[in-house]
Order: sequence, then C-alpha cells, then structure tokens
Amino acid sequence: MRAGSVIAARPDNHRERGGSNPTSALQLIRVQPVPLTVAKTLLIRNHYLHSIPGGTALTFGVFRGPRLLGALSLGVGPKNAHRLVDGAAPDDCLTLTRLWLSEELPHKSESRVIGVVRREIRRHTNLKFLLTYADPAQGHVGVIYQATGWLYTGTSQATPLVDLGDGVARHTRSLSHVFGTHSLEHFKSHGVTASLVPQAAKHRYVYFLEASWQERLNVPVLPYPKLNIDATENGGVEHEDR
Amino acid sequence: MKIVEIGTDQIEVPDGNPNEMDDSMRDRLGESIRRFGLVVPLVVRPVGTKRFETVGGAQRLGVVRDIGIESIPCVVVEANDAEARLLSQALNHIAGQDNLGLRADIVRHLLEDFSTKDIQAVLPDSIDSLKGIASLGQSDIAKQLKAWQTAQSARLRHLQFQLASSQLQMVEEALERANSESSTDSTNPNRRGNALYKLCKTYLER
Repeated sequence: MRAGSVIAARPDNHRERGGSNPTSALQLIRVQPVPLTVAKTLLIRNHYLHSIPGGTALTFGVFRGPRLLGALSLGVGPKNAHRLVDGAAPDDCLTLTRLWLSEELPHKSESRVIGVVRREIRRHTNLKFLLTYADPAQGHVGVIYQATGWLYTGTSQATPLVDLGDGVARHTRSLSHVFGTHSLEHFKSHGVTASLVPQAAKHRYVYFLEASWQERLNVPVLPYPKLNIDATENGGVEHEDR
Repeated sequence: MKIVEIGTDQIEVPDGNPNEMDDSMRDRLGESIRRFGLVVPLVVRPVGTKRFETVGGAQRLGVVRDIGIESIPCVVVEANDAEARLLSQALNHIAGQDNLGLRADIVRHLLEDFSTKDIQAVLPDSIDSLKGIASLGQSDIAKQLKAWQTAQSARLRHLQFQLASSQLQMVEEALERANSESSTDSTNPNRRGNALYKLCKTYLER
C-alpha cells in the first residue's frame, strides 16, 4: 500500500471485496441527479461534517443497482474563489463541497464517481473549472483528487470563525445572514464582545474542465502533499465556506 | 411468549414516557389502525392484579382508546422496572434506516396504487417528499445538467445591502417613489431592483 493512495482510505476487507474485478464492479456504479433533500439526508447522516453547505447548486446520488450508496454536492463555495483564475467570473466555477460513498462500493469508486461528474459537467454546462478542498485538520490531504488529476495549489486562506462571547464559533456567512454584518467593530460598538476563532488552512485543488483556461491560473501548481501514514482519510470532502 | 387479549382500561402508561407524538402523526397512526387493525401487539408487563403497564406501544394505546377499541392483543413480559426501561428503549430505538434507492421503488408503486389523499392519511412524508424519493434513479444526468445550465441565464444577480434602522426608512421611501414612477425593465421582473436601477441611473446622469 502506498501512502496517499485511495486504497489507504479503505478497510482491508473492502479492498479484498472490490479488488478481484474492479473494472466490472465500477461499471455497475451509476451517478444520477437526486433532489437536494435526498442528498442532504444522506450527507448529514453519513458525511463526517454532518451538514451540507448553503449555496448548493447540484446534487448527485451514487447508485449500485437500485441502492443509493453515496452522494455528492457542488455549490458556490468560498467567496472570490474564482479569482484564482484570471478573467473568471463566479459563474465559471463550482466547488465540490461534499462527497460521501458507502464502504460497500468497490475500490476506486471515488475516482469513478468524480470522473463521471466531471465528464458530464464538461459536456453539458459552460463551467470552466471546479474547485475542492481537503482539510488537514481531519488528516486529509486530498488523495482522491491527487488520484484523479486535480491540480494542487497550496493551502487556502481560512476565514476565521467569530465568537460573540457565548463560546459558539460562528461562520462569518452565518453572522452576515443574521446580523447583516460580521464586523467586529460593529459588534463592539453595540457592546458585544466578539473575537476571532482561527481556522486551519485547507488544501486547495482545482480541475480545469476547459483545458485552455489552465494558463489563466494565477497561483502556482505545487507538488501534491503527502498523506501522513498515521492519519486516516475517509474520502470525505471538506467544505470551506467564506 | 403468549399474545393475550387485554382490556384497554387495564393498561396504563408509565410516568415520564419520553416518546411523544404530535397530533398529525397521531391522526396517521389512527388511520393506519382503522385501515389495517392493530397488526403489531403492544408489549406490556403486569404491575398488579389484572393491571398492566406499557413497555412498548403507549401511543397506540392512546389511539385505540380514542377509536373506542376495548381490548387489544398484547405480549406480556415479566420485567422489573430496570428491565422494562431497557426493553422499552430498545423497542423504541433499535431501527434500521431505509436505503432511499430501494425505498424509491416502493414509493413509485404507492404513488401508482393509491391516491395522494390515501397516502397522506397514513404516511408522515409530504407528497412532494415522496415524489422526490420516487424520482431517484429515474433522472438523466445530461438532461438535468442542461436544464441547470439553461436556468443560469434566468438567474438575477443579488446585491445585498445592510442598513441601519435610521437609514432604512429613507431608502424604502426612495425605492417606493422611484418604483411608482419607473417603467418595467423587461430584463428584470423585480420591481425594487428596477427602482434601484432607476435611482442609480438618475444619479449618474445628473
């Protein structure tokens, strides 16, 4: 087993079950659109973050036969993420925000699913590139994205959370939704003791659906980070909100 | 283990039963029992001479009493307080989870075989939710993505403002006045958006 491989994300018995004839096993997997409510149910139940971010645009289910054994979501992602690419508008990209697959699915299912979704998005939409993130705080480096040819662009700036004095770390997007602002000065002027809660930066990956757009990438492509062999990676996709 | 018929007036519900049910769910339970009968016996334990206490089925007991059923099938278990609590929790909380893909096939049959009224009388899911489940595995990814892409051109752009209460009234008034004077912009069905556009245009062209 090599460190950083998708294999490392699977239990031994799973590899054995899926390893005998992976090609035909993978061909039985279907990726189809599912309603947001269905994807949400599955992701909240099974994804390690137990949530689905606001701004979700597309949701897919992963089927083997009639059984629904996985889900993924794509959405608007972090604000200004499109600025990684010169001349890009927010509508040119989506962020892969969640991916969960049952361990009943065979080895390399993640690659198969990501491949199908990318191919269909490329064929049927005007999107130019996709983004995704891996959370090192969870021991993730993004081995699935490495295995499926995404470009690694280093770690992103992580937006800190805000504590309004009650010990609850809130996302700035949530604060803006409720209060209309996440300005610490504004809260201070109203007697609220607000403080920042730092968040770890996340590994950022980009995949160009339109190959000619890759030359517009305005950050360097870096070598893939290595998976710490003591860490486990469960195939979850970390979501980075703005 | 024997199933015995016991009078509903001989059975009581233990104090502090945590399992609660709202009226709409209770109505559905009642409809299910009227339609199919009490197909699963209650689980009770003896707590005195000809007196019993529910271990599993407190909600059904309430519903059958409301319906006017005088006796019901029960499984009687000998259990002390501690064992009764443990069994009750096990009965209420050990449950599987539907695979939604497999449930979709059942729901498709239900939607074919019954009216939405009949389904809603018994099942807690909304019809929209059931239709969503029924659609699983039936949708075409290419068709969905094309429709999504087409819909993007219809998407209006959001521009959010945060205003202090003291500013809000004036802005509202200005928008209302501009709104009453503005003609409809065919590219934007949002009246307030058009009003704001007109205000900005007037400002820039002054």
